[in-house]
Amino acid sequence: MEEETYLELYLDQRAAQDDLIRPRSPLPSSIVPFDVFMPNSSTPETAFSSLLEEVEEASGDFSSVDLSFLSDELTQENKDPAVARSKREIEESCKTPRQPLPSEQDAGPDLNSRLSNSHSHLHPGDADSVQPSLEKSTFLPLASITPMTPMTSVSECSGTVPQLQNVVSTANLACKLDLKKIALQARNAEYNPKRFAAVIMRIREPRTTALIFSSGKIVCTGARSEEQSRLAARKFARVIQKLGFPARFLDFKIQNLVGSCDVRFPIRLEGLVLTHQQFCSYEPELFPGLIYRMVNPRVVLLIFVSGKVVLTDNKTELDRKLQNSNGGTDGPIKLLTED
Amino acid sequence: MPGGGRCPDCGSTELVEDSHYAQSQLVCSDCGCVVTEGVLTTTYSDEGNLREVTYSRSTGENEQVSRSQQRGLRRVRDLCRVLKLPPTFEDTAVAYYQQAYRHSGIRAARLQKKEVLVGCCVLITCRQHNWPVTMGTLCTLLYADLDAFSGTYMQIVKLLGLDVPSLCLADLVKTYCSSFKLFQPSPSVPAKYVEDKEKMLSRTQQLVELADETWLVTGRHPLPVITAATFLAWQSLRPSDRLTCSLARFCKLANVDLPYPASSRLQELLAVLLRMAEQLAWLQVLKLNKRSVVKHIGDLLQHRRTLVRKAFRDGTAETEPQEKELQEQGQGQGQGKEEVGGSSLDLPEGKRPASPALLLPPCMLKPPKRTCPMPPVPMVTGDENISDSEIEQYLRTPQEVRDFQKAQAASRAAMSIPHPP
Repeated sequence: MEEETYLELYLDQRAAQDDLIRPRSPLPSSIVPFDVFMPNSSTPETAFSSLLEEVEEASGDFSSVDLSFLSDELTQENKDPAVARSKREIEESCKTPRQPLPSEQDAGPDLNSRLSNSHSHLHPGDADSVQPSLEKSTFLPLASITPMTPMTSVSECSGTVPQLQNVVSTANLACKLDLKKIALQARNAEYNPKRFAAVIMRIREPRTTALIFSSGKIVCTGARSEEQSRLAARKFARVIQKLGFPARFLDFKIQNLVGSCDVRFPIRLEGLVLTHQQFCSYEPELFPGLIYRMVNPRVVLLIFVSGKVVLTDNKTELDRKLQNSNGGTDGPIKLLTED
Repeated sequence: MPGGGRCPDCGSTELVEDSHYAQSQLVCSDCGCVVTEGVLTTTYSDEGNLREVTYSRSTGENEQVSRSQQRGLRRVRDLCRVLKLPPTFEDTAVAYYQQAYRHSGIRAARLQKKEVLVGCCVLITCRQHNWPVTMGTLCTLLYADLDAFSGTYMQIVKLLGLDVPSLCLADLVKTYCSSFKLFQPSPSVPAKYVEDKEKMLSRTQQLVELADETWLVTGRHPLPVITAATFLAWQSLRPSDRLTCSLARFCKLANVDLPYPASSRLQELLAVLLRMAEQLAWLQVLKLNKRSVVKHIGDLLQHRRTLVRKAFRDGTAETEPQEKELQEQGQGQGQGKEEVGGSSLDLPEGKRPASPALLLPPCMLKPPKRTCPMPPVPMVTGDENISDSEIEQYLRTPQEVRDFQKAQAASRAAMSIPHPP
């Protein structure tokens, strides 16, 4: 694996300069950020939130960082240097758990100091070292492993946090239902078999709507958070129970989270479609917004010229937290400011 | 007539292929004489009456292709011919249709969808070759709904994994403007309305570029903007005669449909031009409004880049030497300018141009909607207890159920009365 050879390269270089008595494995793994990226889907949250928030004194270890082993892929792409650099720091931190580290816990604060060193050092060192130009496709993978807590030290964080607008979930009541009876005996139900084969039921608190099918499955929409959606689905199940059906509450699953935010500057959609053609779909004749299908995290963004962005089609908690940390959403928007 | 046969009786060349029950015959349409019977020939003279067989019938290429696919492919070819596309487009479009047909979802789709798919394939081909065809045109030709078209189009682009470039605005301007019937005098078009095609095209292009720069095109359907730009270009080329003509009348004269958003695009474009006019010293004095600014569109377009930069907040403020240079340049231009060079030099000092407006899309310039303050989301865990009373409120009491059933029966009875037994 390429990563191992770079590891060895770096180890050899650092061996002479490394005068600190530390286990070697955590050190290079934290410092070797610029390898071929390996998508990392799960990272332990707690370790890194502490790492990244502490700031320790710089020890100047990185003064002679030799970046010549950077792969061609990373050197040739165009991107905002500072953001790329900060994202790479994050990548380093996330790489560590992949190598089995015997003394990772002890190396915690050390890792952190390395990170902050590299972070603080490489920011000014941007201009003279490699021109980090990242193409969108490689930037996205980096963004996906941003840590769970917002990186306050990242200078490019725009501060707009997407607001959750809607949560869609499904549940299984595990019993066959008589929709006519439900429509007759429930006050808040409507049933029009000619139009749609399900009962539409609404409750006031939390303000949600559910589609109840005769197979016993329900779709719950309109909640503003996952917990609310769960509570609402349980209330619907309880209503069905009270109507006399042996309803249970199984397989509750969040299907979709819809959020929206505003970047507060106009966006050149034609420019965006030119630079990110493989992800964008922009048909002004059909719809005024641009549909951006981001790969990592796997979300769909509807981007409008006024700067409003709607994020949808994200299923997991992880995706949503990444939205919150702005790693995913701001990337493409930041690029737009340079157009 | 292929084959060059002649009727042995009357000598006419009007031989028609007809069939008598199962036997195919060649019959003279003048005298009714049967020239050949059956496909197999018996005499030497019969051989002279043979017809050529088309390639597609002689080879087995259509054997494997289903009839509906054959129909679709024929429709694709017909559509390409109707649109007068170059011959290479036809092959590409046919290839796309065949590729799409391999997917089971398309094979099982309704006929309406297959019909729309024909249009989608042609559209993708045209887009990839930068040939400007709008979806509206294709929908009109296919008698299809834009909703159905858009659904199938998005589906097929995703299914085939295609990279479809955007509609090229410059080419669309050229094609669309050329379709305006204003370049020759005719009974409906008086001489003063006739315009030179090249001049109008170039001015329209400039206006569309201006609209693009000032956020009037992004996110909107391109055609109404081009209609508005064409109208303004036409008006400004002879404002004295044409200012009285309205946009609707213009489109009727030119025999072009007026798209509904065109009038609001026209207003937006005029607003941009007015802002630019405020930056030109010799136009500031004139106190232009939306009608009189049309006379000066020529000048405004000449210096549009500088004016846009000055008029809108994005750019830095221009220095005075720049302004003076502009005025000197502007002296030599024709068309309805009243200012004298001497006095214009005083204006930059005496009169500040209006403070630059924000260069934003119109949707951002409107006052922001008052969003009703969302009630704060209460912190719920999702596992709280659900009280019975809360659930009871959603259930009907037995009395209510009886009342509801009675009401339903009554309404059903009322509905069935008008029906004759």
